[in-house]
Amino acid sequence: MNDLKKLLEGEAVRPLIGRLALALDDGNFAAFLALCDDPFNYRIRVWSPELKKQMTWLEHDREGLTELFKSLPEHLQRPGRLHRQVTVATVEPSNTEDYLVVTSSFIAHHTSLEGQTQTLAVGRYLDIVNMSAEAIVLTARDVMLDTRDLGIGLHVPL
Amino acid sequence: MPSRSSDAWNTPPALPDGSVVSGDVYTDTGVYADEVRSIYGQTWRFACHESEVPEPFDYRLIDHCGQSLIVIRGDDGQVRTFFNVCSHRGAKLLSEPAGNASAITCFYHRWTYDSRGACTGIPRPAGYPKEAVSKQSMGLREVRTDVLHGLVFICLADDGPALTDFIGSALDQFQDMLTGVPLEVFHFNRAVLACNWKAWHETNMDLYHEFMHVVLRKTQVNAMPMEDRKLITFANGHGGSGGDLKAKYDGYQGFSGRGADVPALPGVGPADFRFMNLFPSTAIISRGTVIRIDTATPLGPNQTLLEMRGLGIKGEPEEHRRIRQRHHNQYWGPFGRNVPEDMIAAESCADSFRSEAGRYQIIARDENLTGQDDAILRGFYQEWSKRTGRDPRNPTGHPQGRPVGQ
Repeated sequence: MNDLKKLLEGEAVRPLIGRLALALDDGNFAAFLALCDDPFNYRIRVWSPELKKQMTWLEHDREGLTELFKSLPEHLQRPGRLHRQVTVATVEPSNTEDYLVVTSSFIAHHTSLEGQTQTLAVGRYLDIVNMSAEAIVLTARDVMLDTRDLGIGLHVPL
Repeated sequence: MPSRSSDAWNTPPALPDGSVVSGDVYTDTGVYADEVRSIYGQTWRFACHESEVPEPFDYRLIDHCGQSLIVIRGDDGQVRTFFNVCSHRGAKLLSEPAGNASAITCFYHRWTYDSRGACTGIPRPAGYPKEAVSKQSMGLREVRTDVLHGLVFICLADDGPALTDFIGSALDQFQDMLTGVPLEVFHFNRAVLACNWKAWHETNMDLYHEFMHVVLRKTQVNAMPMEDRKLITFANGHGGSGGDLKAKYDGYQGFSGRGADVPALPGVGPADFRFMNLFPSTAIISRGTVIRIDTATPLGPNQTLLEMRGLGIKGEPEEHRRIRQRHHNQYWGPFGRNVPEDMIAAESCADSFRSEAGRYQIIARDENLTGQDDAILRGFYQEWSKRTGRDPRNPTGHPQGRPVGQ
């Protein structure tokens, strides 16, 4: 029974992770936020072998992320489009009932306006997913980047 | 006539000397070779912060125009720099970007060195002619190193002005901030950009481009009268703010309350903005609660390694660090609101000059060292010209600049 529950939860989580990626790829930030819990926390972290420290390169709660998304049209941004390829690797119970810990690997590709595609970043998503809500939602995401040279950088979450 | 013909486009604008820069300064391989030799081979440049090598034998690898250098704190506490190259056959000695090495051992033939650069071991030395190859004669190539206000600088030339003579009083306005409390680097990132090193550094010297950044349009351009903003230039090509510039953080959604949530750095208020561009390509920028240091290193005429550091107070409470980190990331870092925009600008200009569609840059704004004066850029190119022996308006010596397509 437990195995069956685990299997069903895993299957339920996969589309959520996929839809989150598609929403970001499409720049549909309202759709992304609709798939996130309230409160929600988002963070991008990177290990620095130069400093021997964990660095935080971006951190927002739901309100901060909403403000960021609102401001994007006013910013000068890397032209082109991002494509996040996500593979859910593990779905585990968390210490809190009804919440799952989901680990995925991702590759983000950038396609220029001229149609040239290059790998921008690779890393992992460490997600906390709330299974108790009416619809399954993302409660927290830690983006653990392997890639540390992001070229000109970017304004949007990975 | 609103548009220009080919001849008019390729003729330098009729502006005073020092106010026009040819695109050839970014693209010409001869100019680049001169820069590497006469600037990066001769001047002091920032290498790292002292806190990156706090203990004896701590080291950091530094990239200097493609050459790998080891900055290491010796057993005597002194910070020294060496080429990261074994005296024997040229293998790289260290590969981890940072670490602790009480002995530096070459992986190839096990020659060893100490933290002062002395050769301490040569396996089976009897096989060599003793007078030419011995521990006494096979030390590492040392690079002149000095520390000012916790900033470690290096200079490839054995002789020349002392660091303090080169910097002069350019860092005086940062002294309290840099020395009033112990600092440490909490942010480091590298980015290789498709542009000349000067194109990046210009984004730090050019205040006029504030208009590009929505954050600065809303928090800085309108924060104080332009005529009250003082700029200053120094000998040797340095230049920056000549007094505190102000920011109104409430002007940008999400930045409200910035500065009230964590102590400012010594000697400044939370809304104070200071910057200093050190020749050739280091910028030190403070925004009240946090410091950014960035260094552009040429990798080729059209390729630049950018290294960016964020500094906070060493040993501060975790919550303070988190806030300071957030302040840093609001403007800077790969996901900051400003830095990616600067990078887009640098690469965009580089693209035009590389294709030779762009021919000249205009750095003629004269506002009597206030507002958005281009004096810092002109001071930089004056020093650049002195060192390279080339005229920025026509660095290749062709009668009307380098002919298009050659």
